[in-house]
Amino acid sequence: MTNPAALAQENETSRANRPPLLFALPKGRMADESLAFLERTGLTGPLDTNSRKLVLPNEDGSIGFVMAKPWDVPTYVEYGAADVGICGLDVLRESGRKVHEPLLLPFEYCRLSVAGPANRPDTPLRYASQPRIATKYPRLAQEFFRQRGVNAEVIGLSGSVELGPVLNLADLIVDIVETGSTLRANGLVEIRTILEVQAVLIVNRAAYQLKSREIQGIIERVRAVI
Amino acid sequence: MLGQIPFGVADYFWEEALQRQELIAELLATFRRWGYGDVIPPAFEYATSLSAQASAGLQAEMYRFLDRDGKTLALRPEFTTPVARLVGTRLHDWPMPQRFCYAGSVFRYVDPQAGRQREFWQAGVELFGAASPDADAEVLALTAEAMAVAGLRDYRIVLGQIRYFSGLLAALDLTDAQSEALRWAIERKSEPALNDFLRDMPLGAGQRQAVEALPGLSGGDIQRVMDQAERHCLNGEMHRALVNLRAVVDAADGYDILNSVVLDLTEIRSLGYYTGISFEALAPESGFSIGSGGRYDDLVGHFGPAQPAVGVALGVDRLLLACQRQSGTPSTPQPTRPHALVLSAHNQAAMAQVQSWRAQGYRLQVEVNGRGLTDVLAYAARIGVGQVLAWETDRFLAYHPNADGLFVPSQGEISFDD
Repeated sequence: MTNPAALAQENETSRANRPPLLFALPKGRMADESLAFLERTGLTGPLDTNSRKLVLPNEDGSIGFVMAKPWDVPTYVEYGAADVGICGLDVLRESGRKVHEPLLLPFEYCRLSVAGPANRPDTPLRYASQPRIATKYPRLAQEFFRQRGVNAEVIGLSGSVELGPVLNLADLIVDIVETGSTLRANGLVEIRTILEVQAVLIVNRAAYQLKSREIQGIIERVRAVI
Repeated sequence: MLGQIPFGVADYFWEEALQRQELIAELLATFRRWGYGDVIPPAFEYATSLSAQASAGLQAEMYRFLDRDGKTLALRPEFTTPVARLVGTRLHDWPMPQRFCYAGSVFRYVDPQAGRQREFWQAGVELFGAASPDADAEVLALTAEAMAVAGLRDYRIVLGQIRYFSGLLAALDLTDAQSEALRWAIERKSEPALNDFLRDMPLGAGQRQAVEALPGLSGGDIQRVMDQAERHCLNGEMHRALVNLRAVVDAADGYDILNSVVLDLTEIRSLGYYTGISFEALAPESGFSIGSGGRYDDLVGHFGPAQPAVGVALGVDRLLLACQRQSGTPSTPQPTRPHALVLSAHNQAAMAQVQSWRAQGYRLQVEVNGRGLTDVLAYAARIGVGQVLAWETDRFLAYHPNADGLFVPSQGEISFDD
């Protein structure tokens, strides 16, 4: 499958034969757990994610799966490019996308937390007049501090956020914490949890009504295994 | 800056602009056939009028600016409030019911998304002075007809009755925070959030069942949904909501539109604005709603004697997008081409002939740069016009492109049909 023309042809065909339902899955870290979970629901067998096809159909062709960047899943679903999707609650809340979110899924457990240097004086966050916050979650970070009356200077980064305090780019960070080992390794401690995170099933608002039979079928299969 | 346009607005031109104008014209013509009269409210007015009953969200999205006397003005974010103001303040003594239709652009400070820029187009109707299910059904049926007129083959109207949910809220006697938690769970269709709400609430058995049944109160099986909802009525308001909904459904059945109607009693986005039925029009190809409406009996009273009212606003941009996707023809920028270019040397007979073709609806462009036949043929080839008419003493000679794309004179009658 290295012939670009053949591949283009194949993708052209898949656009014409759009499966009745498109399901967006997150690439990367969450991919394995999402795929394993879907297999348990029986919605699909193993998917060949190494295939260069853009849309991977399940066995009976009733659902097409699209592997998307995790941060893009809520966007795909809000716009209806995909009908259903799986993403983390952190990504969904940060995106602010208007989608239905019928079920939480039993994986990708972690939390979005404020963390700071271990030697930071033990004072409430609201005492700082204008803390600098490094984060991949500017919206949620801003919201968290605004609710406490603090006008934080939020510095958006796309990764390695824990470097912020180390390099004196920021006073605090807002980031995902699983075990806390990354924080400890960088001399940081967790100060406050902003959001308990797990994976979530999301559905496009129009598809929820227009494809309600198919969508309710998926919700039931998922509910049965959580 | 010079030559750029601000974020969120667009230039429409050529075929795209033509399609847009034609759709708006067809929608307005449809509304007029149902007895709706035109109204053209101002593009901006006092912000206090426009925010009479606007949600916090809509208020935050309004473009505001100061008049020279210091009063705050705003660009209209929708048409319903300006039309309600007109009826409440100036037309309150004209016999009811009054029907109005409109089309034009509205302005909201939002992140541009599919079929919605910061300036976007709405077409819709408002029906004042009728509280009856018949009025609701008329607006539903007109919405369905507008979808068909626009060329949308597949669409659904999702119909709810906000008083069922507001009645439930009243029956549960919740704090504001609890109401908000329930509203959020229902709006996002979130089972975990609903379970959290139920776990933390001391509710009676009937109350608990009513909340638990709520997510199931939607679907295309209208009778089933209404029967199920009936079983969980906790007070008069919930009951009256269903009685009203049944009457609206019965009246709508008279228009034979129920195949396209889906019931959803969890459709509660505009709680606090609508006072009866509310609905959204959806198409499979578009993830966003292409129109929404409902009954708003409390709005006109802000401006004058209270009047019941019901209406719908269709998103013209989203309607165009949905039609395009349904027909499977992606929009490529296409110039609007005339049927023919005309070369004539200031001749009355020639111009009379041109005028008579124009009167028949054909688009003819007359050469105004004084170019000769060769240049005009080259121009026609360049812009993709398939016919050039050159005046020869007493009649027009037509030139058409041959198989090689070269224009050659052709014999016989001149015809403009492709």
